[in-house]
Amino acid sequence: MTAIRAESDANLTVAAELAPLTEKPRTLWRDARARITRSKLAMICLGIMACYVVVALIGFSGLLNHAIEATVGPGSAPPSTASVSLWAGTDFLGRSVLWRLLYGARVALTVAFLASIVSIVIGTVLGLISGYFGGCIDAAIVWLFSTVSSIPWILLILALAFVLKGQEFALPGIGKFTLTGVPTIVLALGLTSWVGLCRYIRGEVLKLRERDYIAAARAIGLRDRSILFRHILPNVFHLIIIDFSLGLGAFVQSEVVLSFLGLGVTDQPSWGRMIDDAKLELLKGVWWQMAAATIAIFVFTLAVNILGDAFRDALDPRLRGVD
Amino acid sequence: MQNPLLQVKNLNIAFDTDRGQIRPVRDVSWSIYPGQTLALVGESGCGKSVSALSILRLIPSPPGRVLGGEIIFEGRDLLKLSEAEMRQVRGKDIAMIFQEPMTSLNPVYTIGDQIVEAITLHQHVKTKEALDIAERSLADVGIPAPRLRLKDYPHQMSGGMRQRVMIAMALACKPKLLIADEPTTALDVTVQAQILELLRKLQHERNMAILLITHDLGVVAENADTVGVMYASRIVEYATVEDLFDRPQHPYTEGLFRSMPRLGGKTDRLETIAGTVPNPARFPSGCKFHPRCPRMQGDPKCKDIEPATREVQSQHWAACHHVPNFEQSPITIPHLVHRRSVVAKATEEPAII
Repeated sequence: MTAIRAESDANLTVAAELAPLTEKPRTLWRDARARITRSKLAMICLGIMACYVVVALIGFSGLLNHAIEATVGPGSAPPSTASVSLWAGTDFLGRSVLWRLLYGARVALTVAFLASIVSIVIGTVLGLISGYFGGCIDAAIVWLFSTVSSIPWILLILALAFVLKGQEFALPGIGKFTLTGVPTIVLALGLTSWVGLCRYIRGEVLKLRERDYIAAARAIGLRDRSILFRHILPNVFHLIIIDFSLGLGAFVQSEVVLSFLGLGVTDQPSWGRMIDDAKLELLKGVWWQMAAATIAIFVFTLAVNILGDAFRDALDPRLRGVD
Repeated sequence: MQNPLLQVKNLNIAFDTDRGQIRPVRDVSWSIYPGQTLALVGESGCGKSVSALSILRLIPSPPGRVLGGEIIFEGRDLLKLSEAEMRQVRGKDIAMIFQEPMTSLNPVYTIGDQIVEAITLHQHVKTKEALDIAERSLADVGIPAPRLRLKDYPHQMSGGMRQRVMIAMALACKPKLLIADEPTTALDVTVQAQILELLRKLQHERNMAILLITHDLGVVAENADTVGVMYASRIVEYATVEDLFDRPQHPYTEGLFRSMPRLGGKTDRLETIAGTVPNPARFPSGCKFHPRCPRMQGDPKCKDIEPATREVQSQHWAACHHVPNFEQSPITIPHLVHRRSVVAKATEEPAII
């Protein structure tokens, strides 16, 4: 009797000790992942995003290089089912709208991702430094972003794109570069759109730096750099992810605006250029090129916005409802 | 005679604010010897936490700045060290635990990561060895299954457990002085007793000095060897724990004792000290306690002259004009080599809550 009792007690102890191993702890990230995979809409949008990425990769692979320039039919032919190339009609030079549309994903995604990265790096670093050190440094950075945000965005971006385009610069040891279409747009967008994130992160850091665990980190002898990047950055990382996903859509639209104004990409097909080219054709009733590019942008923007919202809901604890 | 581990001499700290200068620490002197517990007692805003933070030079600057004084740790003035030298002292020689265990651990890292970080910062060991040290220090603070707990996140633990983790983290590098800033204020009473018991045990094993910041006289009575009572940014009384409890000299200390609840007493209301804590931006003239002091009785001296901290009896310092023979007592820098005679009885290994 006692033996059985002892054995069952031992089993209980073992079970109690093993329990934490099987049950993974709930962390912010694990929780967020569960929330996103649970949402059907978010998963559909993730799928759409994946399709865009695949199309962009096809563009990069060079498979479309010939198709985008080839004449597949008469100029401004309406969409027809005669061949795949004609599904979305042709432009005024008789080139396939469909292939150019697919190729355009390459520019759109490159611009969106790279510009996001540029703006996130600037916004994050300045926001962290500004919020953490305070004083004169904070005052200077606040002055900088207030100034940047007080200039009308489109003017600033036009000025930057105008100044940067064709600019030559030398990287020591690598060689000389001339800024052309895509890098110009990336820089112009990246350098003008970091203010929102910077403000947000600065505010968050102002709050976090007063936390006891930051005082504790200082009390064990960590230097400021380690505290900033190892202890504060991970605590604001959800803001960066949200900003990134919401920024993607905005950057694709900005590329269109720049191309429309003639400051965008000129050396390869892009959605902005297609819309720019199509604006005069539209008067002649040629709607398909405009429609194709617009729909591509619309679906992309919608998907990243829904996804961005899903990320925000999943990562920002203040927005979580009771469930 | 043994040298003090840490000696603070005439420390003065100011905060420059929009509404003028605030002096949270004025002419504070005390010393602490290896293995000794010094308690700094006082109400909120009397400067006890600021003087503790100033030892590690963790006072935010601006607005804070040290106006003068010395903080001598093992013969070196900490106020004169470079920031890089100071980082070597923090965590390694002097460690600190904070009041709020719920917010003292970074929520995005496991406790193992955080203890290992503290260890590898000051000891040249590989991560694997550091993990072993971390495991041992968790075991030292009485956390069961320490290997498994290393993988836990702070939110998976209770307040008492987190405070143990904080202690383990602070003690992982075997500091010579532990600053405990209200270590038990945020915990409930049974857990408080366990944590204090644990600190006593570890102190005894390692001959570590503890600077205990508290407003709880019960905690002082149970743990301290020597006590400094702070009021309005100054030390108004400094003595051994037995002396202070038996023969309080300063009217503020007397008031504190009178306002403590007593077992068996039949009173409807607790006694209070009349008046309110003075605002540091507008301290009264003369003795800062005079508007609330029962001894003053209209004495103009109290109103005009701030009393110096004098050694009114052997090994007992106080700052009050109305202590007998106050004028004749010498002005000396308070320091006491003393261990409490009655060590609080060690109980069984405390249960984990």
